[in-house]
Amino acid sequence: MLSEARAVSLREFWLRGRGQANLMIGLAVTLLLIAVAVLSLVWTPYPINAIDIPAKLQPPSAAHWLGTDQFGRDVLSRIMAGARNSIAVSLVAVGIGAGLGVPLGALAAARRGWVEEVVMRFNDFTFAFPALLSAVMITSLFGPGAINAIIAIGIFNIPVFARLTRGAALSLWQRDFVLAARVAGRGRTRITLDHILPNIASLLIVQMTIQFALAILAEAGLSYLGLGTQPPDPSWGKMLNEAQTLMFLAPQLAIFPGLAIMATVLGLNLLGDGLRDLLDPRLRRLR
Amino acid sequence: MAVFFLQRLTTLFITLLVASLLVFLVMEVLPGDPAAVILGVNAREDTLAALRAEMGLDRSAWERYFLWLGGLLTGDLGRSYTYGVTVWELVAERIGLSLPLALMAIVLSTVMAIPLGVLAAARRNKASDVGVMGFTQLGIAIPNFWFAILLILLFAVHWQILPAGGFAGWDAGFWPALKTLLLPAVALALPQAAILARVTRSSVLETLGEDYVRTARAKGLTRRAALWRHAVRNALIPVVTIMGLQFSFLLAGTIIIENVFYLPGLGRLIFQAIAQRDLIVVKDLVILLAASVVVVNFLVDLLYAVLDPRLRGGGHAL
Amino acid sequence: MTLLSLQDLSVVLDTPEGPATVLDRVSFDLAAGESLGIVGESGCGKSMTALAVMGLLPDAARCTGRIDFEGRDLLALDEQALCALRGRCIAMVFQEPMTALNPVKSIGYQVAEGLRWHLGLGRGEAAARAVKLLDRVGLPQPRFSPDLYPHQLSGGQRQRVVIAMALACDPALLIADEPTTALDVTSQAEILALIAEVTAASGMALMLITHDLAVVWQNTAAMLVMYAGAVAERGTTAEVFARMAHPYTRGLLAASPGALGDILPAGRRLATIPGQVPDPQDRPTGCVFAARCARAAADCLPRPPAERVLAPGHAVACLHPHEEETVL
Repeated sequence: MLSEARAVSLREFWLRGRGQANLMIGLAVTLLLIAVAVLSLVWTPYPINAIDIPAKLQPPSAAHWLGTDQFGRDVLSRIMAGARNSIAVSLVAVGIGAGLGVPLGALAAARRGWVEEVVMRFNDFTFAFPALLSAVMITSLFGPGAINAIIAIGIFNIPVFARLTRGAALSLWQRDFVLAARVAGRGRTRITLDHILPNIASLLIVQMTIQFALAILAEAGLSYLGLGTQPPDPSWGKMLNEAQTLMFLAPQLAIFPGLAIMATVLGLNLLGDGLRDLLDPRLRRLR
Repeated sequence: MAVFFLQRLTTLFITLLVASLLVFLVMEVLPGDPAAVILGVNAREDTLAALRAEMGLDRSAWERYFLWLGGLLTGDLGRSYTYGVTVWELVAERIGLSLPLALMAIVLSTVMAIPLGVLAAARRNKASDVGVMGFTQLGIAIPNFWFAILLILLFAVHWQILPAGGFAGWDAGFWPALKTLLLPAVALALPQAAILARVTRSSVLETLGEDYVRTARAKGLTRRAALWRHAVRNALIPVVTIMGLQFSFLLAGTIIIENVFYLPGLGRLIFQAIAQRDLIVVKDLVILLAASVVVVNFLVDLLYAVLDPRLRGGGHAL
Repeated sequence: MTLLSLQDLSVVLDTPEGPATVLDRVSFDLAAGESLGIVGESGCGKSMTALAVMGLLPDAARCTGRIDFEGRDLLALDEQALCALRGRCIAMVFQEPMTALNPVKSIGYQVAEGLRWHLGLGRGEAAARAVKLLDRVGLPQPRFSPDLYPHQLSGGQRQRVVIAMALACDPALLIADEPTTALDVTSQAEILALIAEVTAASGMALMLITHDLAVVWQNTAAMLVMYAGAVAERGTTAEVFARMAHPYTRGLLAASPGALGDILPAGRRLATIPGQVPDPQDRPTGCVFAARCARAAADCLPRPPAERVLAPGHAVACLHPHEEETVL
């Protein structure tokens, strides 16, 4: 985790990582998800919002692989488009969290004193609020929608990254090579950029993967409550909400979007675990 | 020891104070006049003014904040303008559902997770370990509301042995009421149990490598006896920390799960209150939930002292 | 009568880097009530020998040879039979008293635990015996209540608790693995004196493992010098000290601090043996010490030297042993 930064080629990663089942499965699922999301931009089996009432609530068939919903819309097409939506929301949310959290954590570690105190109190404080509760507050107060969902999820990623960055950076500041840089008269910012951040990059990448999975779950939850992506844009959570009311008529509608969420989160978690094993062999002992 | 808890207590109060300020501010920046929301767009100006005065909206923001804070401290939570009853009454009515539900979920997840985690650690890398770890990966990946829907599909739609939603109420008798809470509690407990089982496993693996476990084995204790008598209790210290942190996830979970099962609990109340702009209710509930999270984590700190005599103080033998 | 007898005990550990021979055909006998010191640097297999006798080797270890205890081969016993022996007939005192005790259990509980487990004593009776045991090891009431927790005791006091635990069921053999390494100098002497006293008083055999020749000199009648998993030199302590035949033994002496330092010429104190113990994964085919040995010759390299008897009660595994008497 805190080894001196060293350039590792992709080839070396591949050679070391290909024997790890969790990494390979996670990578495959994640890549598939991204491929589906990209594909949905240019092609889906049916237009995602094409209403075809006569063909409503069909079970899976050759024409509609995953069946149709209450408006006769193709479920597969909507799940594909939902992937795009989930990825976009989660990616931006994690980006906000890391983009603000990492500098805050690095600052706290570099300056100590009251700056650190403020950052850490803010952290403690956010832990007292269930993230979803606050997300529900934000989205419903500022109006439901994808943008507000992103902000709500993003805000609660900030302390996660701030805490992680501070903890890792603090121990790095005690290391000899950082002390050497300080003795050489480098400024704190310079040291942070040149020595601290490169050394915690792998740690951050692992955490981002895990937060990405959590963001997918959070987005699905908000959409399920009607606070995330708004109709007619497809989202997995919203599809499950609609499916629930039709549970006695077409139970299969409640299966596929949920499977999509689960597979995505599972894939990302496996990828995160695999990356951690790969980048930090010492932790493998306990896993 | 005493110093430690005084510090924790101070942090607790400061956290809640900041929380109250933040919640109040968020509510302040909201557009819209609550009085107009209640009376509708066609209300006459003098009735509006009268209501504003009654609700204290004509005072300054600071004044209203301190009035609210004073109310919180004296137990006067104010009155809901959509339900027309005091917030206390609303909370009292719904906590009878939410608290038992949360307790059931905690108990379920604990009795599932700790034995599974210990088992996985004791049989490290054997089939049962791999099985438990696979189960926990699934448990973490399943969104709890989808798991809830699957439970409904199975137990209510397919087998029809448990209700699909709604709460029978404790007046209907203990078992009928418990039956309606069973599926929601399972849905809440599963993701918690998955995380807790993983934490338990790695914690037990760590303590199993400790010298005192080897000492116990050298005394003649079997693997199993050394595990349960010496490794598990030490391993529980970090597990309890995670359980404390999970409490807030559990509260968040109730917002969704109570919606899935149409349960009239606190989670659904807060969701509805936000939707209806019932600001007093929202403010009070958010503070109450935050307070419960903070207090639970404070209690977890106290529990450490029970588990770990090193924190209990007591003088040196010298 | 022989209490413990090791015959060609080898232990191979399966590691990710391949099998590693940590013990290589170790043999020795220990009679009831006698004492044996095992000396060597860290990593030379002393602790592995102790753990092998206890049956507490890591899961990845495979043993060959025999460990006969009271006429039974321990390697052939099942886990249940071993549990009945451990703590009851063979007890062990560990190196690190800071971590050898469970921090969340009272010392009274930990001392009484073996009594309840092996002898089936009730809670009250076991607690009363535990108090007596604590008193026996120099932790008298009421200052050292059985309700104290390990963190309330100093290192030396904790080691006394560990000794009390080991004595609980009156075992026939006590294995002490570096019992004083983690302690300060005054506690070291006290703990060693305590171990010597209690084993002598109850006729217990003692296997004392240490890296310090002085500890062996003062405490055990016989000794074994180990290097890289094999026996380098053995004999009665008096014989071995009179003529340290193996170059490694002399190296240990030269590197020895502590009580022996006082009787060494000033210029020879605290020398170091150059180099380090070879990794168990790639040990040379010949004498394992050859690479660090000033006396090594071409004939040391093809195969490990066989043990040869120099005098009654003194043997060495070296082709070019020192002939002259040790200059102390």
